[in-house]
Amino acid sequence: MTDKKENAPVLVIGAGIAGIEASLLLANSGRKVYLIEKTSYIGGNVIKFEEVFPNMDCATCMIAPKQQELLADENIELLTLSEVEAVSGAAGDFSVKIKQKARYIDLVNCIGCSACFDPCPVEVDNEFEEGLTKRKAVYIPCAGALPNVPVIDTENCLRFKGKECQACQEACAFEAVDYTQQDKELELKVGAIVVATGFSMFDIGKTSRYGYKKLGGVYSAMEIERICASNGPTQGQITLRSGEAPKSVAIINCVGREEKGYCSAVCCMAALKLCHFLKNKLPGLKITQFYSDLCIPGKAYQHFYQEVKEGGIDFIRAEVTGVSESGKELAVKYKTDQGKENTLAADMVILNPALEPGADSAKLAGMLNIPQSREGFFSEKEPDLTPVATAQDGIFIAGCAQGPKDIAETIAEAEATAGRILSRSG
Amino acid sequence: MAKRLGVYVCECGTNIADKVDIDKVLAAVRTLKDVVVADRYKLLCSGDGQAYLKQSIIEHGLTHLVVAACSPKQHETTFMNVCEQAGLNPYLFQLVNIREQCAWVTPDGEAATDKAIRQIRAAISRVHYHTALEKKGMECNPDVLVIGGGIAGIKASQILAAPNRKVYLVEKTASLGGKTRRFSKLFVNMESGPGLIEGEIERLRQNKSIEVLTQSEAEQILGFLGNFEVKVVSSAEDKEAKEQDFNVGAVVLATGFDLSDTKGLPQYGYSTLDNVYTSLDFEEMCLADGPTQGKIRLKNGQPPRSVAIIHCVGRAEKGYCSKVCCLYSFKFDRMLQSQLPGVKIAHLYSDLCIPGKANQKFYEDTRESGVEFVRSAATEITGGDKGLTVKYETESGTKDDLAADMVILLPAMEPSPDTGRFAEMLNIPQDDKGFLAEEHQLLSPVASAVEGVFVIGCARGPQSIAESIVQAEAAAGKILSALVPGRELELEVKTSQILESFCTGCKTCIEVCPYGAITFDEDRHISVVNEVLCHGCGNCAAACPSGAARLKHFTFPQIYQELKEVLR
Repeated sequence: MTDKKENAPVLVIGAGIAGIEASLLLANSGRKVYLIEKTSYIGGNVIKFEEVFPNMDCATCMIAPKQQELLADENIELLTLSEVEAVSGAAGDFSVKIKQKARYIDLVNCIGCSACFDPCPVEVDNEFEEGLTKRKAVYIPCAGALPNVPVIDTENCLRFKGKECQACQEACAFEAVDYTQQDKELELKVGAIVVATGFSMFDIGKTSRYGYKKLGGVYSAMEIERICASNGPTQGQITLRSGEAPKSVAIINCVGREEKGYCSAVCCMAALKLCHFLKNKLPGLKITQFYSDLCIPGKAYQHFYQEVKEGGIDFIRAEVTGVSESGKELAVKYKTDQGKENTLAADMVILNPALEPGADSAKLAGMLNIPQSREGFFSEKEPDLTPVATAQDGIFIAGCAQGPKDIAETIAEAEATAGRILSRSG
Repeated sequence: MAKRLGVYVCECGTNIADKVDIDKVLAAVRTLKDVVVADRYKLLCSGDGQAYLKQSIIEHGLTHLVVAACSPKQHETTFMNVCEQAGLNPYLFQLVNIREQCAWVTPDGEAATDKAIRQIRAAISRVHYHTALEKKGMECNPDVLVIGGGIAGIKASQILAAPNRKVYLVEKTASLGGKTRRFSKLFVNMESGPGLIEGEIERLRQNKSIEVLTQSEAEQILGFLGNFEVKVVSSAEDKEAKEQDFNVGAVVLATGFDLSDTKGLPQYGYSTLDNVYTSLDFEEMCLADGPTQGKIRLKNGQPPRSVAIIHCVGRAEKGYCSKVCCLYSFKFDRMLQSQLPGVKIAHLYSDLCIPGKANQKFYEDTRESGVEFVRSAATEITGGDKGLTVKYETESGTKDDLAADMVILLPAMEPSPDTGRFAEMLNIPQDDKGFLAEEHQLLSPVASAVEGVFVIGCARGPQSIAESIVQAEAAAGKILSALVPGRELELEVKTSQILESFCTGCKTCIEVCPYGAITFDEDRHISVVNEVLCHGCGNCAAACPSGAARLKHFTFPQIYQELKEVLR
């Protein structure tokens, strides 16, 4: 390899924990890193979780030091609101066209005081909070999001719809609101690319049997994660839409597994985590888990399962055939392995869906010219021997972009991409 | 030299100024001892603000600086950099957080102002006792010791080795390849294990920066990140034992796994009944150079017509799921079916663990090929004239049985017997199952509690081959990132020190140090801090009964002076 290739900058796509970890290692070695992120904030899906299994670590506290380190690292150029537009070249010498949307808030001048939110007259659903609460047209997705600088949502901002409004600019004492910012096109020259675009949740709306979005007491696991979050819509108070605390909860696992055709690896543990969390907050809560096979691989997870189970959770091995309203409660109909049918009453139902590749995966796969698996995840070069390499030299994959996995495996893969890129043996 | 203290209060736009009466604050602190200037500024973190601060430090000839502004998380580094630019040692500076801790949380303006005054007085009192600290660097050795010549160790060695980085790969046995060499086929793509290993060994041999030491054991490893001293003893059967000493900058442990003992579980009849095998026995039988030349045979030489595969053997006793057994059992189905068409196979299992994108298809194909899956809560194997009987109990308590010519047990995986020895040698904690523990289970999965020592593959828990390779590459990533040839390691500035004259040699500090940074000097009968390993957590300073252990920048006088003013 030439010297140029060995020291060439690296492009990391996606600023979730995988992208952050890969960037930090590469930058620490002296490499220049461009970290691009589609949203306005870093931290990906992990910052949506109040606590993570199996040690019930506070997720945001856990990754905050890494986020701070990233923002302070002079070798890392973070480009938020950015997406890849085109890729050309080959390993050691890629040319990548990036489109960066304007934030309309100056990253240097803004101190994150949030004075601009209140005067904004617009209120829309907050996507980060799964629509459980509202946000303004100038907003940060949640308290503690980094960089702690708002973004203007031009689709909803009155000014960008042609109205005379400059309420946020007037409220800013630091001249940080800048309506004249323009979207930018950047051309980056990099030697290697790390794809760390993470996952999305299976769209539960595709299956009607659970009454999702129709029955008030039915929630997705991600909605519950936000309800559990101390910086979420209820400040961590576990309540139904009525405002009352639930008395009985049914958790339904493997939602979408059949449709997707694979086991999402982390859902059983995530469900156990929710049990642990809910039981802790509402000790009298009755929790029932519906499952088919418990997938709790590795040295540490069974212990967690046993601890949760001993806390008084019912486990029913059965297929849930329907959820319906029954008076003030919900009726969960299920069928066991032996073919027995039964019904369970609950006032909250939590649906635990499959993980699937991010929505942009196919587009990105096309631009990078790397194959996707049958399931739509990015494919490894050789599944056994080169698990973080792709069919294209110089392009690597880490985390849930490659397939569903937990935080530890994601971090290991991110570190592995750094290993491959920094290695002089290829 | 007389001290010259400067105090600057940031208005933070309106964030602090709206709540805290800054003029009152300045009036209260201006007259304090050695304060030569106290002033306010609109936004100190801005470009203009930083230039103003730098200019002020130089103009007033400040020897110490106190800034009252926001959280140290946000701008401590910013202001420390300003100090450096102005020629002031950045440790002669103290930041007071009067935004998050006063302006934003204390509703009453007067109370917020009083609180701010109190905190700034505390910082002034503290900064008097600050001493200048210097950043230190250390030369490091970029070479790496890899222990264990299985697939994880081989891949780590390949990726780390370079003309300016030598890798020593130490393997206990006479050949490389570990367990992978013993698997005739690998899931899910059914490629050959020995074939894969031969290819990797060839790549290893071609790399001149790797020294392979087989029939060798690391007897002693002393040191820390960037500088370990290693003693390896090689003892080929026909030769005299040879000792070799060398230095490395990092150590990778890839000592692998063994199957748990199945003999202690009499219900499975292993070692008492014929034709009951463990998964590794079966793998051995399928190897071309194995005892039956790869033919699957019963003890009487006949091929089995029916095989029962028993999952989760020893799982209850071990207390964890070994992660890969379900998947490799489907591989066994294919190996049996391809050699013995028409063979009847039944799996007795409790929960299928087939996480990940590619594995369900592997399972479904198995199921469609006619393999039977029986969910069983408890299984017992008994023998008889006609073959083996597998008795099982379903979850609902119904008892049943099935006949099989051959039984394959899938025992739990456990750390290899050497694991404990290395844990002790390197001072790495083991979990309650005996696996080596991670620095942080989620955030730092391949690093250990000892900086510079990494753990990969099954030494840290059951893993697939792909996962072991990911971890090998991950350890390489961490090492290549930290140990750059020719670059000094930057050391923690705020470390502990132990004063010789105060130390009574009680060793309390050694017990409480989570980083293994304190050792005992037997000659002088005192504890000694290794500044390279010390992270400055302060455990030793808090625990030391004689006041000998002191944490730089958090000394007793500094903390006392600060608290005295806060509590006044």
